[in-house]
Amino acid sequence: MTHDEVQDLLGAYALDAVDDDERALVEDHLAECPRCRAEVHDHREVAALLAHGGQDAPEGIWDRIVGSLEEAPPALRLAPMAIPDPTADGTTSTGVNPLSASRRAPRRVVAALAAAAAVAIVAVLGVQVRQQNEQIDDLQVALDDPLSAAYSSALTDPASKVIELTSADGATRLRGALADDGVGYLRADELPELPDDRTYQLWGAAGDELVSLGVLGADPGIVSFPAAAYELFAITEEAAPGVVTSANPPVVAGSTA
Amino acid sequence: MLAFGKSAGGHGYEERSMSEDLTQASDAALVVAIGRWRQDALAEAYRRHAGAVYGLAVRVLADRAMAEEIVQEVFLRLWDHPDRYDAERGSLRSFLLATCHGRSVDLVRSESARRAREEREHRQQAEAGYDLEHEVWDVIVAEDVRTALDQLPEGEREAIELAYFGGHTYRRVALMLDVPEGTVKTRIRSGLKRLRAGLAESGVRT
Repeated sequence: MTHDEVQDLLGAYALDAVDDDERALVEDHLAECPRCRAEVHDHREVAALLAHGGQDAPEGIWDRIVGSLEEAPPALRLAPMAIPDPTADGTTSTGVNPLSASRRAPRRVVAALAAAAAVAIVAVLGVQVRQQNEQIDDLQVALDDPLSAAYSSALTDPASKVIELTSADGATRLRGALADDGVGYLRADELPELPDDRTYQLWGAAGDELVSLGVLGADPGIVSFPAAAYELFAITEEAAPGVVTSANPPVVAGSTA
Repeated sequence: MLAFGKSAGGHGYEERSMSEDLTQASDAALVVAIGRWRQDALAEAYRRHAGAVYGLAVRVLADRAMAEEIVQEVFLRLWDHPDRYDAERGSLRSFLLATCHGRSVDLVRSESARRAREEREHRQQAEAGYDLEHEVWDVIVAEDVRTALDQLPEGEREAIELAYFGGHTYRRVALMLDVPEGTVKTRIRSGLKRLRAGLAESGVRT
């Protein structure tokens, strides 16, 4: 369907007055045409004004909603952070410090994110976190950690990709691997331990989406996370128990080398 | 799996910083709070918009019990997927109403017996014109919406009402009104644009 043909349908589409085939065609086009997307949103705002019934919803619905919420509490839900745009003033002091090999992609991501800072993209993701006793040294952490074997095999598998997350000053370097099956592993034990009311939080970015991959706790060891959809990773420090969106600069950031 | 449940919002910094006055919070802020399992934020969103959602569902479905189901579904979806609302792209109300409308229309179209009934009702309604006077939520805005609707060419108003409130596809509307499909497509789109312009002129923010 051409742009013009889709345009003709936008009014009907916005009112759900197209059939399923047309809807699919329009949505394909909308995915790549911001102008048509904007038009649909305009139409829906107008429709919303027409819709208003000026009445209250009947009593009892809210109670049923609350009842449903308690039956199925969400397990884990996190969202993207807004990170400062390091290109805004020509410096990179507050922004992501990507590896040199992958500088281009993160810049694009960061710029897109800055533009969409208010957007709340939320994902339901599981993350396994293994917290370690602070007194054990790094080597022991790696050996004792229940994820150690999986981490080692991911790191040595030629099919997996190596990731490195570094701090802006280069002093902190975390290594990890993205296994072929989409699971990422990161040795985060080099991060300084935080007070109890603070936590590290891991974020992943793909395109203009930035999604929390998990709350790592105050003193993380090896962590595993769903990595398949992401190119850029960052860790921030947040108030416990973690945040939905963050304005904090990353403690470390990086992507697949 | 790390447990990160709703109780997280019950203590600590979130509670202090966010619950002070949700009635003053923007819709966008409410959605962020909903993302943090703040039930009171969902309650506030419900207080603001449930009436409109219910009103639209009743109008499309002509069935109170089904409309109640839709309202429940719309707000549960907001709870489960607050990420789907993008504050930069429009108001929360239009987002919720679009969800409500999509689901209502699915129901209407999946129940052929009901559809037959709806058609009769909505044809009558369209013929009688859309009377907002009995459905005033904000007298001034309602007046402006009515004025803008009144200024639409008859064919455009009719096409929009049959599609939006009747839950019909533009193809069906074309059959019902006995005009070419392309004409209905065009009328809906140009009518919506004209309404928007008319409302903007009278100062209604769309």
